[in-house]
Amino acid sequence: MKDLLIKARDFLQGREIQIAIVLAVIGGILTTIAFVMAFTTANMQYHTTTVNVPSFVHDTRVPLAPPEFQPQPPDGTVNYHNPWFSQKIFYFHVPIAQLSLLVFTLAAIFSVLFLRTKDPNYDLRSRVAMETTLLFTLGTMISGSLWTRASWINSWGELFGTLLSEPRLVTYSVMLMFVVAYFVLRRSVSGEEKRATYSAVFSILAWIIVPFSFIFTRVTNQVQAHPTDALNPGMDTSNLIPFIICIFGMMMLGYAIYTLRVREEKKRAQIEAIKEDIEDALADAAKAGSPTGAPNYSAAAVLGTPKSKEKK
Amino acid sequence: MDNSLPKISSWRQYKALLRKDIAQELRTKEMVTSMGLYGILVLVIYYIALSQTGTEFDVTAIAAGLLLLMIVFTSMLGLNRSLIHEHDQGQLEALLLAPIDRPVIFLAKATTNFLFLAIVQVVVVPLFYLIYVSGALPVLLGDITPGPWWMTAIVLFLGAVGIAGVGTLLATISVNTAGRDFILAVLFIPVMYPLLLVLVTALNAAIMGGPGFEATFWQMCAAAAFYNAVLIAVAYGLYDYILGV
Repeated sequence: MKDLLIKARDFLQGREIQIAIVLAVIGGILTTIAFVMAFTTANMQYHTTTVNVPSFVHDTRVPLAPPEFQPQPPDGTVNYHNPWFSQKIFYFHVPIAQLSLLVFTLAAIFSVLFLRTKDPNYDLRSRVAMETTLLFTLGTMISGSLWTRASWINSWGELFGTLLSEPRLVTYSVMLMFVVAYFVLRRSVSGEEKRATYSAVFSILAWIIVPFSFIFTRVTNQVQAHPTDALNPGMDTSNLIPFIICIFGMMMLGYAIYTLRVREEKKRAQIEAIKEDIEDALADAAKAGSPTGAPNYSAAAVLGTPKSKEKK
Repeated sequence: MDNSLPKISSWRQYKALLRKDIAQELRTKEMVTSMGLYGILVLVIYYIALSQTGTEFDVTAIAAGLLLLMIVFTSMLGLNRSLIHEHDQGQLEALLLAPIDRPVIFLAKATTNFLFLAIVQVVVVPLFYLIYVSGALPVLLGDITPGPWWMTAIVLFLGAVGIAGVGTLLATISVNTAGRDFILAVLFIPVMYPLLLVLVTALNAAIMGGPGFEATFWQMCAAAAFYNAVLIAVAYGLYDYILGV
């Protein structure tokens, strides 16, 4: 058994990229399967919470389509009680949201590791995890907005009203604010180590604040419109299967995105180092070639690039 | 050789740092005057903003929010100023060279920030209270009976502790960046979001009164105290890394 594990480790080592690509393909296939299943085999779900805000027009347990999207019976009567398939967004919206929190946690863990070891590799990983968080947070908010439009509100104009009155949406906006602030902070600090340290500290702080804002927003706000019991025991098997497939698919996609981005950034750093070396070599050659003080137009001389310290 | 120098206790280091900041403030009077003046100017802006609301408008309903807004603005101004000297005149380097424990630097800085914030609030908040709470029409007519004034004082105290504690960490980060004031605002608002939320709920309970407002008030105060305890501990732990680079 131990030999097998060691063999597997040896096989996997140095093949992160291949694995990431394979996982991206599998994740894509799984997500597609979940998509098809959500619209074909899954039953309509009936458990959502009661909407108790006057401005949310559908005070009903079932997510309803706005009247104009309701399937109209041919005899001309209007049937307002058909649960609409907007509820299908659930299978993608929830996994993306869960994943965004997972990657956010990953960023904080890498930040802790960075502060302990001062290894720039961890800083890179933390930053890429934060980028992935941004991606998934935006995905959550966009899919959530679509769902909101279909089940709570009558026009897109009401969307921002919901954003500021529903606890879960508010806390998600705060999380987006954190991720954006993280990148704003990164941009405005000069000096590699300083930038890495500050952003690591901030991402740890953000990770601690997010649960606070989740709890405190609920404590202070009585409005509750967002469905909460997504994983309650009442969920049908036909709902649960595409949901779980989608979670795994999204996780694979997330891992693939993260790994490929880390790889890309590492390659970029290597290219920068090589560029500096080339400019150094050019500058040395120019110096050697023109000892009389003739004008030096090489890139390094014009831009004043600092010499790189060590050849890799 | 090592033992030839007497070990200075952290308490004495803390007192010395505190004395330094207070002496500096007494000579320049820079932070307290700028923050106080800014607070009064915010009151003028409130007057302008609310000048067209008419007599029917119940200002006490938004008084908690207005008060918190004033405190957030003045404290952000003060936090920014509090570390600019340290940074621009190389005081921080001198402090790091001196045999002072780094957590002590954090605690001393947070304490002075709290102190200046408290002094400014003692001047500005009563003014606000007289205009927008005890001088408001519904209160004068007796439609609303606000809670006692010390309730507001407790909320403001908790707010000042949180703002000074966590804000000192954020100000130390932002003072080293390119766009100081802007970066402080960008970092400050999301980090303070949970605290500000419970503070405004507690303030609203204290100002509006109403049935059962004490329960809400004490719950929110407990929440704010919890936030302060956790976040100040975290800021205390992380401050060392910030100063190190």
